[in-house]
Amino acid sequence: MVRAAAVAERAGLPSVSIVSTAFLEQAAVVARGLGLPGLPLAEYPGVPMTDGPEALRAKVAALADEVVAGLAGTVGAPTAPAAAEPGPRDIVFRGSLDDVQEFFHRQLWSDGLPIVPPTIARVERFLAHVPDRAPDEVVGVLRPDTRAATVWSIAVNGVMAGCRPEFMPVLVAIVEALADPEFRVQDAGSTPGWEPLVIVSGPVARALDFHHGQGVMRVGRRANTSVGRFVRLYLRNVAGLRIPPGAGDKGSIAATFHVALAEDEAAARALGWPTFGEEQGFGPGESGVTVQSVVSASPPIYTAGTRAREHLEVLAEVFGQACAYWSFTGMKYGRWEPLLVLGPAVARVIAADGWSKDDVRRYLWEHATIPAGRAERYAWHLGSTAFSLAAQVAAGALPAAYAASPDPERPVRVFLRPEAIGLVVAGDPGRNQSRGYVSNHIQGGRVSRRVRVSLADARPPRGAFASEPPLTAARRGGSAARGSSDAVDQA
Amino acid sequence: MYEVVWPLAPRAVAPGTLAPRLPSLAGRTIGELWDYLFRGEELFPLLRRALAARHPGVRFVPYDTFGSIHGRDDAELAATLPAILRAHGCDAVVVAVGA
Repeated sequence: MVRAAAVAERAGLPSVSIVSTAFLEQAAVVARGLGLPGLPLAEYPGVPMTDGPEALRAKVAALADEVVAGLAGTVGAPTAPAAAEPGPRDIVFRGSLDDVQEFFHRQLWSDGLPIVPPTIARVERFLAHVPDRAPDEVVGVLRPDTRAATVWSIAVNGVMAGCRPEFMPVLVAIVEALADPEFRVQDAGSTPGWEPLVIVSGPVARALDFHHGQGVMRVGRRANTSVGRFVRLYLRNVAGLRIPPGAGDKGSIAATFHVALAEDEAAARALGWPTFGEEQGFGPGESGVTVQSVVSASPPIYTAGTRAREHLEVLAEVFGQACAYWSFTGMKYGRWEPLLVLGPAVARVIAADGWSKDDVRRYLWEHATIPAGRAERYAWHLGSTAFSLAAQVAAGALPAAYAASPDPERPVRVFLRPEAIGLVVAGDPGRNQSRGYVSNHIQGGRVSRRVRVSLADARPPRGAFASEPPLTAARRGGSAARGSSDAVDQA
Repeated sequence: MYEVVWPLAPRAVAPGTLAPRLPSLAGRTIGELWDYLFRGEELFPLLRRALAARHPGVRFVPYDTFGSIHGRDDAELAATLPAILRAHGCDAVVVAVGA
């Protein structure tokens, strides 16, 4: 919203943006990130969606003076120039391990957990794993704080998150995806509190010991956990999305980071199914990452039986119900990419019955429905007070079936398009469980990036748990090749 | 002893300047930009009345002229919005509702 005001201002038209009290700080962050820190705001006191008509009338009458002042008053007084910020190699703090934790916490640079101190030596060890990329290379720009996502900053936050240096090519690819305009990282501080989910595909997943089996979405494996944590740290520090006492992240209740997900690609291939990575466009032998928003998860979905339909009936019901509440967001914005993690044992039954992944998607699309009136009611409660399916159909944003009758009980499809449903085979191969993940419409749209890494120079990472000898993404030599030192790492 | 570096990254935005403000709203045309959220369909008519009572002759280009500004591609918005506002004779804009 504030972005439209900035467009008008830059075109020479004065603007004022009406913002409710709790969102003034976020609006200021966005305005600063747009280069217009003094952008006029008019405060709507309180919560518009819980005010009665009289309160609304009174508050609008009261804010009219602020609107006038914003358009015809004295605004835009010169603001103090921004304080100079540190350079990448500047030492911003010296102290013990405990001192570093306290300093980073006070600066709002940590996520509340202890961080690994980002010394120059540690950062250089990460950089050694992307020898084709300069530390000051900008892989994208992250808003709302509008900061350049440099390779150096990726390494710093990777160190802090507890990643291994050899994860660096994966981290760079993740940030490239986050910075893609399709992902809309600037909306990652919206009130639903969605969180990016990273899916790692291809040989790099095994090489770096990304887990895909039992307990895959639980913390406990270094690659999955530290990469997931890195994403949240990077959003805080470079995108500027911080909960109070920071600003910019307005997730009302929100959720914490997801560990990175890897697919049981061997299981998928054994079924004759394409892997998730292949469906995202990665060729055989190629590695990649996919990021997408997740706003909530389904319950664990247990399905039993020897025929595909026995499983799919329950999956369509439970995954469909988990997505149904949020389906109006897809209907409103025309993009929505829920994800289903299918247990390997469940996938095996479905595939053995002759069903392809596309068949599964089509079944889910055809059988998951919600009463139309309920979708519209949920939209109103969120704040989409002008939303109607009939209007969406009239505008050509939805197929005619969504307005087939005026009956509010008419069923309409939960999923917009079958091809938008992601399917990943992962989880406990010894149990018949799946789980669904609900995405947040156009915010955090599914984006993939190739991981630029050579796996030819292989050695297992220390502490790897993979059953097969893993490869490493690192070039031999690493930080030693750059002559870096751990001298200041130790107390 | 640890010597640590900064975890943020350089800003990548050129500072801009706000547009000159109007001397008065009287006789001016205000464009309404709405994100189609949070009761703007009630708020804008109320605001029109309140502003018209203070500044005779003020005119409004209703929000439905422009469609929703929510979720629009930023580059597309920047490329198209100024011309549309000018085509409708807008002197200023009110943007709502952030909540």
